[in-house]
Amino acid sequence: MRPGEALRVVLRSGSGRMGIGLLAVLVFVSLLVPFFYPLDFGLRFWNNPIAWADNPKAAPPAWTNLVGDQAPSHRVFDAESPSQTVETGPATTRLYSFTFDHESESPPTFLSVSVGEVTFYDRPPVISMTLERPDGRAATILQEVVRGQRPDETPPVTRFADEPRRIYLTGDTNSLTATSDFLQREFDLRLTEAELQGNLETALFGTPTGNEAAEFTPLTGEYTATIRVITYDARDSVESVRFVAAGGVFGLMGTDTQGRNLATGLMFGFPVALIIGISTSVAATILGTFFGILSGFSGGRTDTIIQRLADVMTNIPLLPILIFLIFVLGQKLWLVMTILVIFGWPGLTIILRSMVLQVRSGQLVEATQALGASRWRIMFRHVFFQMAPFIVAQMIFFTPAAILAEAGLSFLGLGDPSLPTWGQILEQGFRTGAIFIGYWWWILPPGILIVITAMTFVLLALAMEPVLNPRLRETAS
Amino acid sequence: MNMNTNGAAPMLDLQDVAMHFKSRGRGFHTTTVRALDGVSLTLDRGETIAIVGESGCGKTTLGRVSLRLLEPTAGRVLFDNVDITQVKESNLKGFRRRAQGIFQDPFTSLDPYMTIRQIVEEPLIIHGVGSASERLERVQWALDEVRMRPAADFLDRFPHLLSGGQRQRVGIARALTLTPEYILADEPVSMIDASSRAEILALLSELQERYRIGYLYITHDIATARHFAPTAAVMYLGRVVEQGPTVDLINNPLHPYTQGLLNAVPEPDPANRLAERPVLPGEAPSPANVPSGCRFHPRCPVFMEGLCDVVEPPLVQVEPDRTVECHLYGAEGKERVGRDTGKSVSGDAEIV
Repeated sequence: MRPGEALRVVLRSGSGRMGIGLLAVLVFVSLLVPFFYPLDFGLRFWNNPIAWADNPKAAPPAWTNLVGDQAPSHRVFDAESPSQTVETGPATTRLYSFTFDHESESPPTFLSVSVGEVTFYDRPPVISMTLERPDGRAATILQEVVRGQRPDETPPVTRFADEPRRIYLTGDTNSLTATSDFLQREFDLRLTEAELQGNLETALFGTPTGNEAAEFTPLTGEYTATIRVITYDARDSVESVRFVAAGGVFGLMGTDTQGRNLATGLMFGFPVALIIGISTSVAATILGTFFGILSGFSGGRTDTIIQRLADVMTNIPLLPILIFLIFVLGQKLWLVMTILVIFGWPGLTIILRSMVLQVRSGQLVEATQALGASRWRIMFRHVFFQMAPFIVAQMIFFTPAAILAEAGLSFLGLGDPSLPTWGQILEQGFRTGAIFIGYWWWILPPGILIVITAMTFVLLALAMEPVLNPRLRETAS
Repeated sequence: MNMNTNGAAPMLDLQDVAMHFKSRGRGFHTTTVRALDGVSLTLDRGETIAIVGESGCGKTTLGRVSLRLLEPTAGRVLFDNVDITQVKESNLKGFRRRAQGIFQDPFTSLDPYMTIRQIVEEPLIIHGVGSASERLERVQWALDEVRMRPAADFLDRFPHLLSGGQRQRVGIARALTLTPEYILADEPVSMIDASSRAEILALLSELQERYRIGYLYITHDIATARHFAPTAAVMYLGRVVEQGPTVDLINNPLHPYTQGLLNAVPEPDPANRLAERPVLPGEAPSPANVPSGCRFHPRCPVFMEGLCDVVEPPLVQVEPDRTVECHLYGAEGKERVGRDTGKSVSGDAEIV
């Protein structure tokens, strides 16, 4: 059957249309990824906790706010230049003001302030942060001096060049003390730092009820966070300032316990899954086809050697070998793929050999031999094409097997850390106990994506069936 | 060495060719299937020899050996005085170019994944003939020769769109592109509709006249042999039992097997519909277990005990162009027939 005709037959069945549709989506998403992701995404971002520090941890997707309680949304404010500059004598105060509406009953999950590269000549700059509440009260919860000039340094001194200085207010003892002072001053409420620990945002974004020591009613309205950087030389500079009022929900797919945006990880999994599945099955099919046709056509010793080798390979249990080799050689994706190829060809070889034996004794081979065609020409110009539809179907069928094998290995904790895959996301969720805690957004999407991808190829293989077996072909109406 | 009328060596000369297949039996036992057991034949350019026999008699094996698709166990196959059984496959290109085959089943001998153009062009590509445009011209010429006209209409079609007769023409065109001297025609019309048979055979004869092709025409149909081949050889269990001009062979069969074979040909005469016809008893024995003496003796209606089952029959030159392998015509056999008056040479066959 011609390729065009085969495609028509595939498209005639529901499973074929669905398979091709799903494949188109998978391929489309996979093609988008290289445009938006750096190639070292896995190491530089995914498995680097610093990259995700300002995200809320284990936050469900933002659209869950459509039903049930309103969780605060995630707010990130970045500023490169101050909103106001005040000069008093030699000192310059840079004011960075960020105003936001806090409408949720729950306080932000955490607060953080980050300051980018700071350069100073004389005295080190002072960084402070004040939170102005809707009730007019203001709490200065951060006051920090940039580390001064060391004896071996000469001005200008640069700080936080490699990585911004990030102050995690929620866990900062100075902030706790400042908040404790604020509560005592404004509400005459005495709370120790220990009592405030973990309740910092509740206290800052609420009003004490007066009944219980650490009980607050939520205070909604407009909040303003003002970050002040005071410098003492005209040449001093501050590169950027960031303030984060972390939400209780995040993005399209939520985050995991490290704050990683699951949407980005899942997106990255598309091309990885397709590359694993398709390249492994293509390589295994090429090997299997070559050895199968060679074995069936040559006969004799070549046949015996290939078939015994195939028998040995099919009888070695794949999973233990994979686990063993990964332990010995390291968690490399290419290693997994190579092993899958090495163990993937024999099945096809054994089937193809028996098919070739049938074709070999046929008149086509005899007629072509009589023309003077070489063995290779007969094998790969004639015999191969007789088997091509079957080989293509086998290749499609092997694709989900490879994807599932990689997912299984990742689930066992043997995934390649440099390339996040759906199996790895699933494994991390499982290991963290996401199933038991109820972080469904961490477990369901990768699982469903693995199933859908595998199903795409199974549907395609099903739709290929009538191409292989004309008796199954529905009569054209 | 056989010499033909010109005194030169014949184009194709099979000398005492044997083809034994070994097959593994039970345990360490191996059985030998004697598909060909000492066959000699000659064929010249422009000549046609029909090989007639039942299925399993070795006629197809003979054809395959003559194209060196099989290497015979014993004997020589001389093509233009070169023993092709001794030539390595890689050095066989010259022979492959001059000898071609047309096969029985036009449905399986053409690659269903190739267009007619690719099929007919393939021998030219294999033998590195001409440029692409020269090859296309040659393909069109070959299709025109087999009356696939206009050739351009067929070039890009696939075999499954053609009728059986058209496919066989494509098979002939493929054999013809290299203008060979020898063509093995292995039952070329047995799978074709009766209506196209005569046409295909006429086409083959026409091509023979034009290009002096020698045909080895293998068939089980003695009727087409009569029309197509002036000479015929009857094979039984791996041996040629009778050979001669086809017309003589049919009108006056000498070997009891040839007689039986001819009796089995249905006659389209309603007057015969109730006539009982003598039929050869039993089936041909397996070539894995060839009977002793004359291999036909278990089925022979004129079997002579003590002679036919013991002594291999001699090759008797009955007429200048006729040979038969039967004791009836050998010295010893004639003597026995003379003694035993109850049987005659052309005696009635046993009726089953």
